Amino acid sequence: MSRQQSINSSQTPTPTTAQSPLSRSLKATGEEVWKRTEKINAELFTLTYGAIVSQLCTDYGRDFVKINEQLYQMGYSIGVRLIEDFLARTALPRCQGMQETSEALSKCAFKVFLNITPRVTNWSSGKDAFSLIIDDNPLSDFVELPMDAMEQLWYSNVLCGVLKGALEMVQLDCDVFFVSDILRGDQQTELRVKLNKILKDEIPIGED
Amino acid sequence: MNGYTTGENGTIPGMTEQHQFQLFEESLRKVNKLVFQMLINEIVPLSMNVQRKLEKSSDDEFNSEMSKLDVNENSNTTNLLKEIVPSDQLIHELAETKDEDKYNKVIDRVRNIGFQVGNKLSELLIFTNNPNLQFKEMDLLLIMKFVCRDVWKQLYGKQIDNLKTNHRGTFYLFDYDYPPIREFCIEENALKKELKLVEPFLEFPVGIIKGVLASLGYPPEQVICLATFVDRPNNDIPDTSFAKGISFHVQITTQNNP
Amino acid sequence: MTIYSFWIFDKHCNCIYDREWTLLANPKSGTTNSKQNDDISKLLYGIIFSLRSVTGKLSSTETGRTNEISSISTGRFRIHTYCTATGLWFVLLTDFKPFNYSKVLQHIYSDIFVKYITNNYLSPYDFAQSEGEKRGQGTRKITNRHFKNNLELFLEPMISS
Repeated sequence: MSRQQSINSSQTPTPTTAQSPLSRSLKATGEEVWKRTEKINAELFTLTYGAIVSQLCTDYGRDFVKINEQLYQMGYSIGVRLIEDFLARTALPRCQGMQETSEALSKCAFKVFLNITPRVTNWSSGKDAFSLIIDDNPLSDFVELPMDAMEQLWYSNVLCGVLKGALEMVQLDCDVFFVSDILRGDQQTELRVKLNKILKDEIPIGED
Repeated sequence: MNGYTTGENGTIPGMTEQHQFQLFEESLRKVNKLVFQMLINEIVPLSMNVQRKLEKSSDDEFNSEMSKLDVNENSNTTNLLKEIVPSDQLIHELAETKDEDKYNKVIDRVRNIGFQVGNKLSELLIFTNNPNLQFKEMDLLLIMKFVCRDVWKQLYGKQIDNLKTNHRGTFYLFDYDYPPIREFCIEENALKKELKLVEPFLEFPVGIIKGVLASLGYPPEQVICLATFVDRPNNDIPDTSFAKGISFHVQITTQNNP
Repeated sequence: MTIYSFWIFDKHCNCIYDREWTLLANPKSGTTNSKQNDDISKLLYGIIFSLRSVTGKLSSTETGRTNEISSISTGRFRIHTYCTATGLWFVLLTDFKPFNYSKVLQHIYSDIFVKYITNNYLSPYDFAQSEGEKRGQGTRKITNRHFKNNLELFLEPMISS
């Protein structure tokens, strides 16, 4: 990951000068970390998430706006913790720009945690927003939504929260939301990440 | 179930059934164990958070009206974060609440989620043709062994450490190192508080056990399941892991074979 | 190799853990989270903070990475640092003997900190609970005994070998 100036980089492979070295080394890192990760049956994960959503449906009397919000908040709480495990395993430094962030999310983070690699696409002209196209979402495997839920529920909204929380921890203030979901009858599942601003690192009182 | 009997049918020569099953298990889709663990640990603070919100919205109609104005899902998502309370604070708040009714509502919610997971997991395990499982003449003891071995293994990557029974419908399942809480710890010399904080997390496996039993013909109203802390064998209190083991006391109140 | 002290700073510029060994060859000696170390921790933070901003500026014309510091030498000891993308700094003060302490610090982060602090739902992930505890004004410390015990076990062999 690092250029000659970075010193403590022993954990990650140094990119060669071939085409798109960054993207290739992120992919390699993701795959390598996934290989030595402890794993569980994805179906168990799917049904556990399903049980949580279904409990929320009962609790909020099918008020899907509130359910979306609750799933998002749960995701945020997971994201702010999960990011540390991710960084510890990959030893990645902060990303330089959203291009790199998108690759790190798709090829590393999604790979390491869910064993999928969403496609990065739909870049905004200012290069500050992109979409992740999630095929084969393990959260919603075999899930079918009833009619009322299809219109309002973002079933996998926990993912938006996870990304929001994790990105915020590395000083990226982003909006993260679903644009479409095959569970709603859409063509594809598209998750949008839009950078609002890069947060400044805190400095001690009196230093500014 | 699923017409499965232990036999030579379909066994690849030179390969034991156990090995075949193992290969099948390995071929299944996987996700990172940590995300699963975080998801199940998040159930307790989530349930507390839901309780807070339900109480708040019934207290304050105005607030709920306001949140309805916020339906536009593309609106700045930071709006959603204003009322986020960190999970550890929700857990502490739950442990400290004096409101028994509130506490019970929260742990009921945790247990319900566990129940649904147990119920579905049981189906999943049976339909994957595990050669260890023969449900044709399954009695309660075999079902409990199924919980101890297959269910626990699938969920936590380990088996229950010890199973005791009086052979009259009472069982004790001991897990001396229940994985989701292994790292849970606050500070030195606060064991009592620590146990109080962990208690709600035990309702999830309690729900699991009840859910599995329900799927195999023992409805929840006939099953009592209680989790308590027990000392580990040899009373070794490790400095680097959770101080107590867990005992699940399961009792079937009506003998009613499926 | 000999280590003298160990420090963790969080993204709010607060020292959230400090451990100092006072007697050579005695891994049980010294202090943990000592009030008396407050000033030293602020000085230590200041040294690393200043050097990081300087090295950051020196490399800003490059398109590549930030110019991260991994160790600083003074007349009497070496300061080893490991900084995470989330703004945590793990710092060790040691003697001069050559040894790859960044591995040591990385291990503390990934196998002790992440395990017993961030993956421990009873512990906060962020130690500043209000604005008044940010920007170096916080006083909360890691008091978690699993963290402490595992850290001691891991560092013990390095105290005086």
